[in-house]
Amino acid sequence: MSAESVSLGERIADRTDRVWSHLRFLARDRLALAGLITLAVFVLLGLFGPTIAPHHPIEDYVRTTQGDIVRLAPPSADTPLGTTEYGKDVLSQFLAGAQPTLIVGLLGGVGTGALGFLVGLVSGYFGGWVDEVLMRLTDLTFSLPFMPMALLLLTFITPNVWLITAIIVLFLWKMPARVVRSEVLSTRERTFVKSARASGAGHLRTMFLHVAPNVLPIGFLYTAYGVAWAIAAQASLAFLGFGDPTTTSWGRMLRMVFESGTIRIAWWWVLPPAIGIAAVTTSVFFIGRAYEELINPEIQNQ
Amino acid sequence: MSGFRRFLAKRIAVSALLTLISVTIIFFVLRFLPGSPFESLITTGNLSPEQAEEVFALYGLDKPLWQQYLVYLRNLLTFQFGYSILQSRPVWAILGPKLANTLVLLVPALVTTAVVSTVVGMYAGWNRGSTTETTSVAVTTFLRSTPVFITAIFFLIAFSYTLGLVPAFGMRQVTATPNGLLDTYLSIDFLHHYLLPFAVTVLYYSGDFLLLARNGVVEKKGSEFLKLHQAKGLTEGEQLLRAGRNSLLPVVTYFALRLGMIFQGLILLEVVFGWDGIGRALVLAIEQQDYPLVQAAVFIMALAVIIMNLVADVLYAYLDPTVSTSGGAV
Amino acid sequence: MTDTDQPLLEVDDLRVRYSTSEGSVYATNGVSFSIDNGVNYGLAGESGSGKSTAAEAVLGLLPENGTIDSGEIRFKGQNLLDLSAAERRDVLWEEIAYIPQSAMDSLDPVMTTGGQIRQAIKKHRNVSRTKAQERVRELFDIVGLDPERTGDYPHEFSGGMRQRVTIAMALALEPDLIIADEPTTGLDAIVQDKILDTILDIQERIDSSLLLITHEIGVIAETCEELSLLYGGKVMEQGSVDNVLINPTNPYTMGLKNSFPEIEGGGDPVSIPGSPPNLSQEPSACAFTERCPFATQECEQSHPDLADLPNRNHRSACHHVERAAQMRRDAAQPDTWGIDVEDGEESETGEVVLETNDLQKWYEQSQSIVSKFRGETPTYVRAVDGVSLSVSRSEILGIAGESGCGKSTLGETMALLSQPTGGEFTFDDKPYEYYQNGNMKEFRRKLQIIFQDPFDSLNPRQTVRKLVGEPLTIHDYRTDERATAITETLETVGLPTTPAFLDQYPHELSGGQRQRVAIARALVVDPDFLICDEPASMLDVSLKVNLLNLLRRLADTEDIAIVYISHDLASLVEVSDRLAIMYLGRMVETGAVDRVARRPKHPYTNSLLSAAPEKDPSVERTRVLLDGEPPNPVDLPSGCVFAPRCPKATAECRSEEPAPDAAGDEGHTAACYFPEDEGNPIVREAGQNRENESVGD
Repeated sequence: MSAESVSLGERIADRTDRVWSHLRFLARDRLALAGLITLAVFVLLGLFGPTIAPHHPIEDYVRTTQGDIVRLAPPSADTPLGTTEYGKDVLSQFLAGAQPTLIVGLLGGVGTGALGFLVGLVSGYFGGWVDEVLMRLTDLTFSLPFMPMALLLLTFITPNVWLITAIIVLFLWKMPARVVRSEVLSTRERTFVKSARASGAGHLRTMFLHVAPNVLPIGFLYTAYGVAWAIAAQASLAFLGFGDPTTTSWGRMLRMVFESGTIRIAWWWVLPPAIGIAAVTTSVFFIGRAYEELINPEIQNQ
Repeated sequence: MSGFRRFLAKRIAVSALLTLISVTIIFFVLRFLPGSPFESLITTGNLSPEQAEEVFALYGLDKPLWQQYLVYLRNLLTFQFGYSILQSRPVWAILGPKLANTLVLLVPALVTTAVVSTVVGMYAGWNRGSTTETTSVAVTTFLRSTPVFITAIFFLIAFSYTLGLVPAFGMRQVTATPNGLLDTYLSIDFLHHYLLPFAVTVLYYSGDFLLLARNGVVEKKGSEFLKLHQAKGLTEGEQLLRAGRNSLLPVVTYFALRLGMIFQGLILLEVVFGWDGIGRALVLAIEQQDYPLVQAAVFIMALAVIIMNLVADVLYAYLDPTVSTSGGAV
Repeated sequence: MTDTDQPLLEVDDLRVRYSTSEGSVYATNGVSFSIDNGVNYGLAGESGSGKSTAAEAVLGLLPENGTIDSGEIRFKGQNLLDLSAAERRDVLWEEIAYIPQSAMDSLDPVMTTGGQIRQAIKKHRNVSRTKAQERVRELFDIVGLDPERTGDYPHEFSGGMRQRVTIAMALALEPDLIIADEPTTGLDAIVQDKILDTILDIQERIDSSLLLITHEIGVIAETCEELSLLYGGKVMEQGSVDNVLINPTNPYTMGLKNSFPEIEGGGDPVSIPGSPPNLSQEPSACAFTERCPFATQECEQSHPDLADLPNRNHRSACHHVERAAQMRRDAAQPDTWGIDVEDGEESETGEVVLETNDLQKWYEQSQSIVSKFRGETPTYVRAVDGVSLSVSRSEILGIAGESGCGKSTLGETMALLSQPTGGEFTFDDKPYEYYQNGNMKEFRRKLQIIFQDPFDSLNPRQTVRKLVGEPLTIHDYRTDERATAITETLETVGLPTTPAFLDQYPHELSGGQRQRVAIARALVVDPDFLICDEPASMLDVSLKVNLLNLLRRLADTEDIAIVYISHDLASLVEVSDRLAIMYLGRMVETGAVDRVARRPKHPYTNSLLSAAPEKDPSVERTRVLLDGEPPNPVDLPSGCVFAPRCPKATAECRSEEPAPDAAGDEGHTAACYFPEDEGNPIVREAGQNRENESVGD
């Protein structure tokens, strides 16, 4: 009995080891490590930002003791990041603005990755007319330009976070789908897949238990990239004035500065959201690149 | 060669079909979404009911849907884009110059970045693990992953507001009234305005080319054929050239694809820099609900992508001796 | 250098180490050998023995993580390691040329073949383009390629022809030394034989020396005068081929030599148990001691020096050289190596399990919509074209043939992985249609297929337990005693059954273990029939022998019927009861293994048999070299498909195809009008053979 339990303990240790060895690439790559820390901070901001914000980002005005609205004040002890043209607290807006960015980024990225993975898997595995139809569909989403179509759709329907997420997924799933499909095409030809079929495994079993686990890493990778793309797309839409008008997001903050024409002076208003977005998207990509080096044997060192 | 011709015919047929489906989708998106552009024009009082009817008749909106669709198709495919609602000028007359502005900015930038980044990427891939490689990859990753309007804002703050080296907005000074092509695009004033958007575009696109070239060379570096080249006594530079030639194909096709997307312009970039291109025109047209203009702009953008996709596929088949056009490698 | 006593190449105490993320790998540990002018020198050993590393060090082609810790490489007295990079490049190709291992990948895919040779010439000689091109055409002609094809790209050539291109390239500047690294690995026996013949012929003509690196002792025995045998980065035995291979004095040489299966008698091969040494540190004991049945205390202490044997060109690194004669006798006995000897009694073959009659598998060639619309008759690739065979319980049927002959398609069609396009096929007395109409599960349980590549035949994301257990889940077979079923099966194939092993992933297993897990996966549902498609082609020789023994035992004790598909005749002869020879989708000869191998009737069988090299250097082999390569199975000639390459073909052969049993008797048939007679084998001049055939798809 004791031998059994030891081996079970060993097995658990072995599993944990494997997870760690997979994550160790982050530690080896300093940029990826920095990215991971940035991302952790961003997630915390997204979760707790609105709660810890000293003011309500939209409703509250920053006022002097006399009750005057403080407009375009540079950073000070009271307002660490200054105030906006409209007398709002930049720090509060920055803290609150992380949330929609996080929601769209996460849902958009995961949605993109999941949908793209499924389409790529089915398309590549079955081939034939299924493949033909699905791939023409991706061609179609390639030829419908994302930004203009998104703008068009958002003119007619009042934007909200969920709609924006949906539009992003609708236009971005083609990226992982293509890559996953080509990966599936080569995995499908591998001997163990043929061998699974020969031992009587059905299509669903072969597809999900034999093919899918072997292309999962590339799916994860493109989910990560999807997160970055979704954040960038959401910020861009908000910047053009097609964001959710009821919530503060980093992209919307940038639109406000740009529209107010004070971008030339109010650096304290511009930089926090700009750096925030740049830092988050770049972090995701750094982690993705490091992971790509890990899973792509062709560009690995021998 | 008949295999190649067959392949070409098939690809062209697919592209034509895609175009048809794309314009159909655009048509129905514009018609079926709640709040047609014309309704909002009427409700906001921009058009009187009589004017509205006139416009309706002009655009055939009083006819049944399927007739509208056919007219729409015929017009688009013959590049008859009609008249702008707000400016009462032919759409083509408005969009033409803007398209030119976009191309003047983006084509040189794309060519520059494709050449420079590819060369740097190949060098970086050959010297894997060197400072050149790690730095160039890190920098271009940053530039590629950050939304372009944010990079643009950073550059504006640094080079325009802080250092005052270049103007921040527009294509030329407000007072300038250029005459003729030469004056429009080759004046010092224009060049001065050109620098910053050009630089941002070059940097923004550098990441993709650099990584494609780098990954290609890294993959080829351990290959058997390079070992034989080395055994023949080729110098390292000559070996790098062969590795580069062997990884050029994805770069070339990617260039073609990117070129197709160029017609969409870098919408955000044009907005930030006030560059009077087609992307900015589209955003303005959507804001002003200038429906024929929007329709035409989106159509041009979609068509460009489809055509360049086709070109990329054909180029690939043409350039790679090992790709057989009848399907798969031999 | 006019000094004729000076060796052309001397490698002295070469030590190469690779640094990897898991630490150092000591690839060669003091390798020394020397090659005289005009001598063919063989460097032999299993994978991981350091033979390729030694060659790469000579050429200066070591990968970046490889460093030469010590040693000298003297070429014409000049230490190559002292030269600058530029001086080194000048020596390359001008004086030392290289024929790489995998011609498939060694040619630059986006450069014409002629261009690549021209590049080598122009790099070292200041000649005009036209001059260089003239030379290229001349070279193409010498190696037996069409000079008109110098403008073709590598992918337009077949594997054998590509290897000829690399040979032409090596010849371009008439170097003093040609280093050939496994030049024929991965090629079919007949092609291999022709390539070797070409290399030898040319190399004699330009009078250069040859350093031939290979794992096949037979190839060295036939082509080289001297050899070194490497193991664990050390030279185990060295000297003239005749001395070393006829009278080996080192247990490793004896083991290696005994483990090669041979077509002609010579007793059963004996494998060396165990696996090659771990080279993460320099071996302190004799490198072979762990696997050596004669090891003593002394062997643990130090690796023996390479000592001269008196009065002959022969050196051996063994502490017990003086016992060589006794060791040679013992080494031939399997029990010396701790291998249980199976009782040689073969069980009687039982009833017929699988039978095919005129089985066909044609693939339609892709066609344009237009020609489909016009109703043009599609063209077909006739991969399997009228095969009739039967296999009984406890019987192993060997199917032999070159690549592209359709043997793998035949295997997959018999496993119903692809739909037969014609003919009959019964399994367990029921036609295949019965299984396809809702009884596929039953078929899939009873018939199992094992594929070629042990490195790719297991799902990398499943543990051994899951891998072997999965078929039980699929077929709902013995699910209540899963663990027992898995353990029993692993024992049958000779794998450990510890929990630790069951939780291992494929990448943690050795090649031989992986192939056994693949077999366990097939056996766990107690099938009646096993199809093995080249199961041993990627395994080292000792593992190969293990596998053959395992299959033989399965047939004998478990009453399983087995079809063994391979291009390796020696293995087939070793394992099979009956042998079928396949050419272009049909069986040209079928019969009991002894009769087919000893007294072949079909000329094709004869040439296949004659192409296998002999490991005994004292045996002279008569070569039967065939012209060209098998034609494309789309536009087959009318009449006998072998006629275009057959030295005996007549008008009759060309007009009408012989029936499968046109010659022979009940137990041995051949599809030939002019079967071979025993005393009258066809022998042809082993000369130049031009290959003009276009490549098939």
